[in-house]
Amino acid sequence: MGGNNKIVAFCCENSACAAADRAGKIRLYYPDNVRVIRVPCAGRVDVLHILKAFEKGADGVLVMGCQEEACRHLTGNTRARERVKYAEILLKESGIDGERVRMVNLAPEMAHKFAQEVSEMTERLKGLGPTPIKNGGPQR
Amino acid sequence: MIVAERKPLEEIKEMIAGYKRILIVGCGTCVTICWAGGEKEVGILSSQLRLAFGKDGNELLTSEVTIERQCEREMVEELRDKVQEVEAILSLGCGAGVQTIAEVFEETPVYPALNTKFVGMPEREGVWVETCRACGDCLLGETGGICPVVRCAKGLLNGPCGGTKRGKCEVDPEKDCAWTLIYRRLEKQGRLDLMRKYYPPRNFQAVTRPGKVEALQA
Amino acid sequence: MQVKIGIFLCDCGGSLRNIDFPKIRGNLEKLEGVAFVDISHNLCLEEGGKALASRILSEDINRVVIAACSPELCEHNFMRLLESLRLNPNFLSIANIREQCSWAHKEDVTGKALELLRMAINKARLLQPLERKEVPVNQEVLVVGGGFSGMESTLELSQLGLRATLVEKGSALGGKLSELEGFYGLGASPKEMLGSMTRAIEEGKNIEVLTSAEVTRVEGEVGNFTVRIRRGGEEFPRSFGAIIFATGYRAGILPRDFELRPSVNIISQRNLIEILQAPEKLERKPETIGFILDVSDESSRLATLLVLNNALAVKEKWGSEAYVFCRNLKVDSDGAEKLYREARATGIAFLKFEKKPQISEEDGRVKVEAKDVLLGEEISLSCDILVVEEKGLPPEGTEALSSILNIGLDSQGFYQNENVYLYPVDSGRKGIFLVGACRGDLDISRASMDVASAVMGVCELLASGKAIVEAEKVRVDPDKCRACLTCIRVCPHGAIRLVRVNTEKEVAQIYDLACEGCGICAAICPAKAIDFEGYTDEQILAEVEAIGE
Repeated sequence: MGGNNKIVAFCCENSACAAADRAGKIRLYYPDNVRVIRVPCAGRVDVLHILKAFEKGADGVLVMGCQEEACRHLTGNTRARERVKYAEILLKESGIDGERVRMVNLAPEMAHKFAQEVSEMTERLKGLGPTPIKNGGPQR
Repeated sequence: MIVAERKPLEEIKEMIAGYKRILIVGCGTCVTICWAGGEKEVGILSSQLRLAFGKDGNELLTSEVTIERQCEREMVEELRDKVQEVEAILSLGCGAGVQTIAEVFEETPVYPALNTKFVGMPEREGVWVETCRACGDCLLGETGGICPVVRCAKGLLNGPCGGTKRGKCEVDPEKDCAWTLIYRRLEKQGRLDLMRKYYPPRNFQAVTRPGKVEALQA
Repeated sequence: MQVKIGIFLCDCGGSLRNIDFPKIRGNLEKLEGVAFVDISHNLCLEEGGKALASRILSEDINRVVIAACSPELCEHNFMRLLESLRLNPNFLSIANIREQCSWAHKEDVTGKALELLRMAINKARLLQPLERKEVPVNQEVLVVGGGFSGMESTLELSQLGLRATLVEKGSALGGKLSELEGFYGLGASPKEMLGSMTRAIEEGKNIEVLTSAEVTRVEGEVGNFTVRIRRGGEEFPRSFGAIIFATGYRAGILPRDFELRPSVNIISQRNLIEILQAPEKLERKPETIGFILDVSDESSRLATLLVLNNALAVKEKWGSEAYVFCRNLKVDSDGAEKLYREARATGIAFLKFEKKPQISEEDGRVKVEAKDVLLGEEISLSCDILVVEEKGLPPEGTEALSSILNIGLDSQGFYQNENVYLYPVDSGRKGIFLVGACRGDLDISRASMDVASAVMGVCELLASGKAIVEAEKVRVDPDKCRACLTCIRVCPHGAIRLVRVNTEKEVAQIYDLACEGCGICAAICPAKAIDFEGYTDEQILAEVEAIGE
């Protein structure tokens, strides 16, 4: 992949997935560069998943989980938030802009917020340009 | 366990600059448990390096492996085939691990990706504290199982000093005064008389480097 | 087993016009391991399902990829369909090309749909079968706390045929029911209520009551808890399938609320009730009685109800003048509004302050000075007795129990629920429920609702005597596990424990029935020893891989 401001959105199936579905249902047209990967909880998302997404050429990563204090699994979304912060640090160390990764908290009915976050990230990525990673780099 | 911490990426990058093929080796014992050098950390470092090199347009081939214990020659030996394919090794083991690898593969440069910090224990999830300085002259039996050498900011053998205040240390008021802790512990054990015992200054000259332990059991 | 994938594309009755289905079919047919690509118009209808089933059987495929509407809508049905065809239900991978693709974008999205399909196909290749297993569960239930909520839980469980053991710390059942003077506006008096409930418990089937008993230890997981109970100096273990905690609350005066020490004239609600019950202790009838609420923060429901009840009681019994100083009267409990109106009608005055009133003692009387924000006037009341607010506080031992149970406490020290909006009576640990005032400021009608939901939850888990689990969906590889305890410390559902494998090495093990499948452990394991089938690292990264191919 690469180019076209590709966004990988890891979405919690208890909230963000439903918000994304709803955004489609009510026809909130948002940029089509986002690819949702369904996860059982934002807490399932590992720092490695985020890093590898960039390795494979993603331009931006969104981790989308339940609202603060309303995680189906109590601590999943707060852990996800901490991991996104950690991923930002790791990416910066590697010379990649930390703004390319973002944690989003939303409720299942927050379709507008989903669409807005995707649009905002897309705009941000336009400003930053494509990631310097060309073809996913050499594989192990 | 031995507690270590990852070096900043910048430092690691500088160490391995110029190499195109490296082997990143994790250790499955102490440093896995303290989140510094297990399989996951190997993956993170490897990914970070590929991103950093890829960004600069440089090629870097990384292979990843985590072995049981880097401080055992026989276990390090398992790496032989992989080592032949690379120019350098990046070890996420403690200092002992790095040295064992270097000894087994003398022709290949080995670089440490971690800074080995101390012998410690988890305080809570993700936080480790130093509990043993490996001083080689253990007196825990007489201090209620609390080490003043490590846990007293001044390393006093005869405490507490005048700087103890409501159980906290004058050097860092956030920290507990080790000697107050010792007092309370001995009190529970009915052994407060030990507080009066005088410990003469230690003869650090007697500690020879490198330390060595030879077991008598055969 | 070689992977043989069957792909079904559903165009939702031909409505997904911005996707070129034949083009997608042409593109996917060439992929390795793909047996066929079918285009359907109605996979969700009976005929579509039948066509799908017959194709799966005739082509003998072992992975099914479906591009259709949201998996939230269709996944469950397709899984059951696969199961009916004797194909493992986990061999299913869905691409959401409707809500998250066709409907979400105006322009042609064939390219995106194709990518979503490739993601699903990549994942499908790596899917492993999951075995569904029956696990026996113990049907006995432990109820802790013999107050209203605990008694109600016990009675409801027994009516549903589940054996319940009720453990009460005190020497008799009743809790606050035996202490309160009255529930004005709620029909039965607490005494009557307690009487009829006690009788029902005595007569009820499948009920065991242990008074003067305490829980000291809880081990194990849902379906098989081992609880140690201490009673009269001896401690014994018992097994239960589920536990309901109904430990109630403790009424107390917050020291930060009143600088004044309680005295003869400044008394607590409880003191007032004692006097009401034994008026002979009183030298003379108090003519003016003040009540004060919400001193430091918003009032609690329980405190408000108590004040309203007691103000009405003094009015009725002694005919005293009663004044209630309050900030915001919280009348959202059942019957509270009615109670408030009744109080107003009988002549009880409510004075609304914003700034904390001044309280002083003078010649054996209590003076309360406050500014009433509605009248806009400074008011000074001299009363015979001032009755101060009592807050609902966590009962003693809550902290100790919470650490035994591995359940968190909230900022006020009450038990912390799992997601309070979605699962109000769940504790975060499956099979342990929290009902009534032990989880916060709940009045009796709210507590009844809690009891009903918790009893439902217990039935769901235990009624059939067995539970069906997806065995080892989340699994620790014992060879890779370093027993670092990280997963055990982070599991929000207390579903992981340390076990000895072949009596040698200690490793973490996930208890299938207690696991809620969040994957937090898999993401944090420093040895990468935990796999979550359906969401393994490989499967997630295979999806990422397909993006932009």
